[in-house]
This record gives sequence, structure tokens and C-alpha cells, in this order.
Amino acid sequence: MRKYLHVFSISLQNVLQRRASLLMDRVGGLAAFLAIYFFWSAVLGSKDAFLGYSRAQMLTYVLAMNLLRAFVFTGRGWELVNEISSGKISSYLLRPISYIGYTLSLDMAQKTVHLVSAVLEVAVLVYLVGAPVYVPQRAETWLLFAAATAASSLIFFLLEFMVSSLAFWTSQSGGPLFCFELFLQFAAGTFFPIDVLPAGLQAALRMTPFPYLVFFPINIFLERVSRGEAAKLLLIQGCWLAAIFLATRLVWARGLKSYAAEGG
Amino acid sequence: MPAIEVRNLSKVFRVSEKEPGLGGAFKSLFRRKFRTVPAVSDVSFDIKEGELVGFLGANGAGKTTTLKMLSGLLHPTTGTASVLGFEPWKRKPAFQKQFSLVMGHRTQLWWEIPAQETFRLNQEIYEIPEADYKRNIDELVDLLELQDCLSIPVKKLSLGQRMKAELAAAILHRPKLLLLDEPTIGLDVVMQKKVRQFILEYNRRYKATVLLTSHNMDDVSELCPRILIIERGRLLYDGALRSVVERYAPFKLMRADFSGDVVTADLERIGKVLENRGPSATLEVPRHDVSAKAAELLSRFPVVDLTIEETPVQEVVRRLFIAGGKSGA
Repeated sequence: MRKYLHVFSISLQNVLQRRASLLMDRVGGLAAFLAIYFFWSAVLGSKDAFLGYSRAQMLTYVLAMNLLRAFVFTGRGWELVNEISSGKISSYLLRPISYIGYTLSLDMAQKTVHLVSAVLEVAVLVYLVGAPVYVPQRAETWLLFAAATAASSLIFFLLEFMVSSLAFWTSQSGGPLFCFELFLQFAAGTFFPIDVLPAGLQAALRMTPFPYLVFFPINIFLERVSRGEAAKLLLIQGCWLAAIFLATRLVWARGLKSYAAEGG
Repeated sequence: MPAIEVRNLSKVFRVSEKEPGLGGAFKSLFRRKFRTVPAVSDVSFDIKEGELVGFLGANGAGKTTTLKMLSGLLHPTTGTASVLGFEPWKRKPAFQKQFSLVMGHRTQLWWEIPAQETFRLNQEIYEIPEADYKRNIDELVDLLELQDCLSIPVKKLSLGQRMKAELAAAILHRPKLLLLDEPTIGLDVVMQKKVRQFILEYNRRYKATVLLTSHNMDDVSELCPRILIIERGRLLYDGALRSVVERYAPFKLMRADFSGDVVTADLERIGKVLENRGPSATLEVPRHDVSAKAAELLSRFPVVDLTIEETPVQEVVRRLFIAGGKSGA
């Protein structure tokens, strides 16, 4: 365990060392965040409610989305693809450390830095434009939201890890990861809540794990679902987590096997 | 028990083939043709604990593939290997804590931050107790003269400094077995010598087993009493370096620059003239006669510059290959 904590700390140093790259990342994300925020702000106009969201709920959705993007969607999929196709991954496979654990520790360090930055961004925005913030009425909501967010962060980590592992077969190419990222942002509810979509599409998305990444956790926070429903969502999310964990392990093991057969 | 025991090890790669041009690319999109390439074929050898062995062969001969199998990165297609009593490709932590593979053109150091951070990380990964870590790092810093490189981001180090830091990172856990793939590649002569001295010192001090590949004959002749030669995946020779050199590289090359033109016929008295172009010439001189012949050359001819070179490894291997080479010497 200690070794993974150390990886976390050294990675934190590394992220902070690359200040310029971190800043670019945040500025890039911030532009999208502000655009979406002001878009919804304009759509809502002086209306108090829209599509079943109160004004405060909708704008809080966007604010929370920025936090979740930072904490859930921050990963090092591209580096993983790169390490696999360049063979750099060998140097980890030779050492007594689990690569999945190693990657998770690196991810956690990145997520921490991005979350801190996202919290500051949201705080500044709320302060500057006086954005209305929906504060949960029930105390247990905070707990349910924290659990949902932690699980969604792990689901994203595993999904990204699995998709990046496809680089074992598609040598030199991050194609699968690229498609995955594009689709994910949309399907998870990053640009808008998925309940603004047509019913058929919505129903289809609800059958996938993606809404459990952003849409449902924020809905729990906004208390748009009852306590019972929230518990049910968490349960389904847990099942997705378990299923994706098993699938990722399988793909990874297969990938390593093919790597060991064909070499890097 | 030998440190490394290899029996009938073979590795066959499956590579996809593409016909040339756009049409070929399109075809291979639908039906890909595969060809099998034998990288290592039926190789067997033993290496005793504490031995220093050179592993020679041309590019693509199968050296790196063999090292990758011995370190557990590759599964062999057939055959067995036991390394420090383990089957390497099971990648048991107990095995991984006892060896290191250093590849001259790969790095395990973190690029953006100083090398000492990677050392600390390896301390955790290999679970090295603090007291041992302190002792080992002090010793390595001293031996490799790393004092000035520890706190500078790795990307700012020179190639030579980086290689030394690389070695230190690989040796921190004091492995019983070192697999070195081209440890001196790209380094200048002075740095090559330091790296070699270090490898020798490590081998002597800790009775560590070392298997190294190199294109550099000096690496091999200074370090390895025993060599393995591999050619097109087959083990061509396993035995003393001395006997190969005496048999297949009985000459050294003397390159001399003169202050004026020199007659080839005069030079023939020193050794066989391979080339005589104006003020510079290359001679082949019997290995055991080199110093006498060099003295003679210097006293009889207006020599400006003189270098004496080993026959390149590739050349020795080529001659051995032509002669058909056989195991044991």
C-alpha cells in the first residue's frame, strides 16, 4: 500500500512541476464550462423552471458538472496508450508493482489537483455572477452524493483503462480511446442533463453505465430523486462498477498475454 | 544451481505483411496476411552465479528477445527457462526483487522530476528498508559520481549522466542478476569506460551474475571472459572470448596519419596494407605483435597520428558465421 501512496505523492509533484500544461488543461475546460453556463443562463432567461429543473437546479447542474468533470473525467488514458504502444510499459511490468494500482495512484493525484482547481473556479464564478446554488435539503444527500461520485470516478477509471488497453491490439493507435471520450461526454450528461433528450434515446442511454457517471450523481445532489430511488441508483451503479471491474481485468489480462506473445 | 538455466528456448513472432502501395493497404484492411518469424530457435545454455557473460550478435539476431524472455516480458513459444530458480514469465514479485533489466535506449526514470525521486519510488516499489536504501544510495552515488545529478530534472541531464542514474535506479535493490541490453550505447569513450568499471565492480563486490549484450567489442573484451554468440536466433558459440578472438580476430587494425605520402611497399614490412590513401593508411597487424609493430611504425615513418582498433564485433561474428561456428571451446 505504501508504494502506491508514494506513487501518488511523486505524481502530485509531477503534475505541479508541469504548471503550464495544468494551466492549459484548466483554461481549456473552463472555456467549455463558461459557455455551457451562460448558454443555460440565457435559455432560462427570467424563467423559474425549465424542463422540470428549477433555475437554481439547472445552473447548479452546470456548476456540479464542472466539479465532476475534474474529479471523474480526469485520467491518463492517452499516456497509457502511449506507454503500451511505445513499450515503456515494460519497465513497470518488470518491477514488483501492479500496473493498475500504479495507474490509479497517478490518476488520483491528477484528480486531486483538478478538483481543487475546479472548486476554485466554481467559487469564483458564484462570487462574480452571483450564480444561484441549490443546497441539498436533506443531510443524507451529501453522503449519497459522495458515494455516487466515488463510484462514478472508479467506473470512469476502469472504463478508460479498459479502452486504453485496446492499444495492445491496435498498435500505434488511440482510435478506440478517441471515440470513447467523444461519446462519453455526451452520454454521461456533461453538456446537458440527459432528460432533455427524446424519450427513446433517453431510455437507451439509461440502459448503459454512462448516466451513472455524471447525470445520476448530480440528480442525487439536486434531490430530484427520492431517498429510495437514490439508493436504487447507487445499487445499480455498484453493479455496473463490479461488471466493469471484471471486464477490465479480463481485457487487461488478455492484453498482457498478447503483449507477452508478441513483445513490445 | 545455476543462476540461469535455459533449455531449447524458442520464440516465434507472428507479423502482419502488407503488399506495397495503397492497394495493398486496402487489401490488408480486410484480409491480413501473417508470416511467422523465428526470433530465437532452440537455444540452451547455463550461467553460473557470479558469472559475467557477453551476449553477442548482429541486429535482429535474437539477443533482446532472449533477454526479454529471461526477464519475464515475453512468453517463449517453446522451451523452458529457470532464472534464479523462478520461471520468469510468471512475474512473481519475489523474482522481480532479485534482478534488473537495463535497456540502453529505454528509461525508467521520471522525465520531469529529479532522479532521486525515482530512486525513492523504487525504494517503495522494491520495499527496501531505509537503512539499506541509505547505504546503497551512498555507495552508488560514490561509485557512479552522481553527486551533481541527483536534484536536477532528468530531462536536463546529459546522456551519460542519465545512463548512470538509470544504472543506479536499477541497482538500488541490489539485484543478484543484471541483464544489460547495450549499456554503453551512445556514450562517449570516457563514459563507456566508467560504466564498464562500475559493472565490473558490482559483479565483484556482490557476486552478481551479469549477462550483457553489446555492439561494442571493448565492453565485451574488458568485461566478459565468456561469450555467447547468437545468429539468426541460433546459438552459434558458447565459450571463452579469448579463443574466439584468437581464432577469428587474430589481427588488430592500425590506422596511421603521416606528414607526407608513404610508399605502400615500405608499409608492407609492418603489416598487411588494407588501404593507403595519400597521407593516411590502414594496416592489419597480428594481435600479439601490436606493440612491437607500432613502435617500428613510429620510428620509421613520419607518423602524425596513430590509432589501434579492435576488429568490430560484427566482423568477428561474420567470420565465425562463415566458418560455421560450433559450441564449446
